[in-house]
This record gives sequence, C-alpha cells and structure tokens, in this order.
Amino acid sequence: MLNAFHSPQSVALLGATSEIGQAILKALPHDSLNTCFLVAREPQRAATSLKEVLPNRTTLVEIAFQAEATQTHKDIVNQLFSEGDLDVAIIAAGVLGNNPDLDESTNALDVMTVNYVACANLMLLIAEKMKSQGHGQIEIISSFAQTRPRVDNFIYGSSKAGLDFMARGLNDKLEGTGVSINILRPGFVRTRMTKSMAEAPFAVNSDAVGKVAVNLLKGDDRIGYAPAVLKYVACVFTFMPKKIFKRISNR
Amino acid sequence: MSLHKMESTGWGRTVRSVSTEYAPQSIEALQEYVRDQKSPRGCITHGLRRSYGDSSLNIGGITIDAAFLSRLEFHADAPVVTVGAGVSIRTLEKASIERKLFPPVVPGTGLVSIGGAIAADIHGKSHHITGAFSSCVKRIQMLYSDGEIRDLYPEGPTADHFWASIGGLGLTGMILEADLQLIQMNTPSVLVEETRVNNLDEMLTLLSSSDENFQHTVAWIDLSGDFRGRGVVGKGNYVSQEPGAKQEAPIKSKNAPTLTFPKIGPFSLINKLSVRAFNEMWFRKPLTRGIASIDSFMHPLDQIQNWNRIYGDRGFIQYQFVVPEGNEDFLAQVLATMKDLGAASFLGVLKKFGKGSPAPLSFPKPGWTLALDIPANLRNLESTLNSLDSQLCDRNGRIYLVKDARLKPEFLPTMYPRLEEWRGIRNNMDPRGMWQSDQSRRLKLC
Repeated sequence: MLNAFHSPQSVALLGATSEIGQAILKALPHDSLNTCFLVAREPQRAATSLKEVLPNRTTLVEIAFQAEATQTHKDIVNQLFSEGDLDVAIIAAGVLGNNPDLDESTNALDVMTVNYVACANLMLLIAEKMKSQGHGQIEIISSFAQTRPRVDNFIYGSSKAGLDFMARGLNDKLEGTGVSINILRPGFVRTRMTKSMAEAPFAVNSDAVGKVAVNLLKGDDRIGYAPAVLKYVACVFTFMPKKIFKRISNR
Repeated sequence: MSLHKMESTGWGRTVRSVSTEYAPQSIEALQEYVRDQKSPRGCITHGLRRSYGDSSLNIGGITIDAAFLSRLEFHADAPVVTVGAGVSIRTLEKASIERKLFPPVVPGTGLVSIGGAIAADIHGKSHHITGAFSSCVKRIQMLYSDGEIRDLYPEGPTADHFWASIGGLGLTGMILEADLQLIQMNTPSVLVEETRVNNLDEMLTLLSSSDENFQHTVAWIDLSGDFRGRGVVGKGNYVSQEPGAKQEAPIKSKNAPTLTFPKIGPFSLINKLSVRAFNEMWFRKPLTRGIASIDSFMHPLDQIQNWNRIYGDRGFIQYQFVVPEGNEDFLAQVLATMKDLGAASFLGVLKKFGKGSPAPLSFPKPGWTLALDIPANLRNLESTLNSLDSQLCDRNGRIYLVKDARLKPEFLPTMYPRLEEWRGIRNNMDPRGMWQSDQSRRLKLC
C-alpha cells in the first residue's frame, strides 16, 4: 500500500538489469519499501548492484525470465502479487538494436518482440491484476525516438511507438480504477547500451532519468520527457517539414 | 441494494482510496450482504470519517456506511443509553444534556461516530480520571463476518471478543450499537481556567499538578518560532449549578458549527509566517477564567467545519504518540526536531494520560501524549518521523493507529506488544478474514 507520503511498500522492476530501470528504483522513496521484485534474465546480477542502494530491510525477490518467452509472463506476473499488493511496476526490459541496413537487420525481430510484444503483454497482465486490487502504478520506458521515424533507428522507434500507443490507450481505459500507466520518454541516455554510439543533443545520465520517472509517479502528468526540454523538441519535430527533419536527423 | 463506487480520504486527506460503498437500509439486509460477501478485498465499516489516515478506507474493496444505525434510547432506570454506531458524539451529547446527563469521555471533536469512538478507543481531556472511551461501554452489539449478531460484554465469556473490538479498528466485526454509562451533569457548562506558560517544563509541571484538581486538562503548545514549548494550559470542571439558572428547566446545548472552511484546491495556507502570526495571537488571546459552554470547551475545532482543507490537496499528518513518564526529554527533542524541519503548525496538543484500558490495541497508557499536525509535503518528514518512531520503540512509547497513515509495520509489535494476542482473537472472530482496511494491509495487522 502507498502510505501518506505516497511511498510504495512493494515494487517490481521488470528488466532489472536495465540501467534506467535501476536508476528509477534508486530514485524512488525507500522509507517504506519492504519488497522489491527483480525480474531479469540474470536477476542475481541486478540484486548485486541494487543491494548497496536499497535498505537492508527490503526483501529482494529474484525472478528469472526471458522477456521474449511470452507464454511465461502470466506465471511471472502472478508471482509479483503473491506477497500481497503490488504498488509500483517498472517495465524496463528493452533492446536497442543495430542500425538497420535492411539486409543486415538481424535483430529487428528481437527489438520488436522485447520492446513491444513482451513489454505490452506484461503491462496488460499487471494492469489487470492491479485493477483487482484497486490501485497501482505502472511505468513503461518509451523513448523520444517514437516521436517520428528516423532512418537510423526506425525499428527501435516503432517498437517504442507501439508500446507508447498502447500505454496511452490503456491508461484511458483504466480511468477511475485507481490504476495508472506512466510513460517515460527519455532521449539519449548515457548507459552501457549507448556507450558505442555518438552522443545526441540533450544527452542525460540515467540518474537524471530516474528522477524524472519518480516525479512522474508522484504527479498528475502521465507522460514525462527526460530531459524535460525534449517535450518541446518533440513538438517541433512532429510538425517540422520532412525535408528539414531529414536533414537534421541524418546529421 | 445501494452500491456505488466512491473515492474517499481520511481526515488528513493524504491517502485517496476508491472502494464500493454500501449503504444498508436495514440490519437484515446488512446481515445477508455480509454473509454472502465474497470480495477478496473484504469490507470495512465507516462512520463520519474522522480517522486521520487509512483506518476506514478499503481500496478495491467494500466500505459499509454505518449512518443508518441511528438508535438513541435512554434507559429509564439508570443513566445508561443504548446508542447506534452511526450516531455522532455531538448528537449523543445534545440528547444527554436535555436529560442532565453527559458521556464521561468525549474527544476534541463531537463529529465522531459511536462506532468509531469504540473502534479507536478514543480519549479526551478527562483521561487522567475517566480513562478512555471503553470505560463507559457496557455492551457492544456486533455483526460478525458469518452474518450473526452477538452481544459482547467487558466481563464474562465474551470479554476477549469485547476487548479485541475496543480499539480494534473495525477489524473484528461491525459494531451495530452499544450501551454507554453516562454521568449526571446539572448544567451544560464547565468552569474553565486557562494559564499561559512560557516553556515546556512549566507546561509539564502545570499539567501534572492540575490533574489533581481538575476533571479536564489539556495544553495547546505553540509549534512555531523557537518551539520552546510555550502555550496555554486549559483546565476545567463541570459546574454543579450555573449561577441564576432555573434548575427545573431543561437545558439546551448550543448549536455548532458556525463556519465552513472553503475549498482552496491544491494550495496550502500553512506557512511559517501565517502559523507564526496565528500562534502569536492565540498565545496572547485573553485567557478564559470562568464559565464556558461545554461545547466550546470540549470541541473547539468544531466551530469551523472542514478545517482540514487548510492544508491543501497534499493534506497533513497528525503525529500523535504517547511516551511513559520519565521521557520528558523526548518531548523536547520532538519539538527541536520539528523546529529543524520547519514544521510550523497551528495544532499541537499535550496531555498526561492516566491508566490504560485492558484492550490489546487501545492507544492510551500512562505517560505523556503529544499530537502534532504537520503538512504532509514537508521535505524529509517521512524519514524524520520514522526515526522518531524508532526512538519511541526504545522508550516504550507508541503511536495512535487511528491517526496513522505512515507507520512502518516492523514497529508495530514493539509499540503494541499484545498484537499477537489480538491477532489470535481476531482470527477466531473473523476466520474468513473479511474485515480489512487499507491500514490493515499496510501494517500487516491481520
């Protein structure tokens, strides 16, 4: 249950080795945190890095899963509710993918399966369980890349756009149930995953993204950009003539 | 059947909870509804929603409105009243005063239901003499989760169920009505004597010495400026005969409240400046020394309805605890902590408790109780209060559960050492685990 300070007692991090996911978990208030479910391919790796930042009294429950094994999702979600109410679920599983020279885009299916199919399925299953308990917050990690297709990341962008689209629709459907879906749209985040890439403008560290994500959970807005200025950049990009957009995005 | 979705909050307005509200029309319908209830989130009863936190909330579950339990019947042969759980203390007071009677224990607001008063084992300014509300409860009529209605008494074979339900936060069953022992009172007046004190030591000394000569004692403590514990100690005794009053005439009590605090949206009117100005005025106000109406003395906050809106949409925490005598340094430490935190507040109340009750979850026990209203959006408040809770555990103190929306469950067994005993009786009374609340889930009470 959330307490008077809206601090959660129980949190699940799906894709628990994600640096952004861990940054969100670190930025959450820990004063009342009793149970933390770490769901990942290697949950013990997530537990090792999170043990130092979470309070000693927080029980870490490690759950191994492969995001693309969607037939296992239902059992995994059931485990998240086995100890009682789940207050917050952060769905941070994700694959970045390579630049798609179309004949070489071998991991396009991975990107689409993990970023869209798996995350959307988990979101739907968790939302249904939270609806029965009458409360809960889900946070998904979308991306600034879903704003408009760019030639260097349209597969990744489309997978995030699909997830983002579903999250918005689901959030509307859940109105009045006590459950909300929060959509985080980070820009370029300096992580292991982006280490080999050229840094884009408005790049941020994962800690900054974590803070935006937690403010999103506390406030009334359901969509948050990290950094916040990307909200306005996204607006400009959306309505920018294609010629100019291509010239800018191909730089 | 009247069922609808409803968003509710506690009096502190910190937690919002959507539940299915059931407003029964009759006892028979209620019995059937409870007996057939299969909601995994269970039910909790609510009265006038004066519990500050999440005691009367049940997110995703069912809340049962006790308002229809409005019986009020005075016994002809004794100063005893049978009163429905939905009746407010104020209604009971007014009806009692007309018969020259009065409830021996009343809280700081008259807008508490009888069911709530029992389920929280409330206390008042008279605690050092009368004890808590349970001291005047002679019988409880209780609806169990199996749909059966049983009478519970403080002594005899039902005593364990009776005492588990006193202060039991509605988690043992639904209180339908109670028999209350009243006291004789000739006039609805109190002879009041207020004294200004300049620091915490003076306040503690005066409260202790006043308990010997006064039926009611309480102190308002200034939570602003240097937080040194200055304030006003109020003392009062029932007036045996009002000067010049015609004894034969029935005495009417004054009507209240008079003002309603407007909705101010997300904004809070609480800041260091506004609190400092108000508290300075309150500290300097002319002291009452003479006869006052019982209503204004007992329930000063009821003069303004919905005063809880003053804290805006984020609401406020009422942090109320008790520490045994000998821990006066802790009171000073709490004041210093509030000062460091910048927790200026209009409302700080200090009182010395008398004897505790036999109920496992009853809050009052001998020692000092301090209640502080604090805006919930104050930075570092959560960790600060957690730290104070930890020290309270070391000092054999406890916090008041009906004011709570933030206590960590690990502190509960230390603060309430008879918790396991209560859980055992509670499980026996409600094997289905049907009576649940947001608080029971948060604190893992059941």
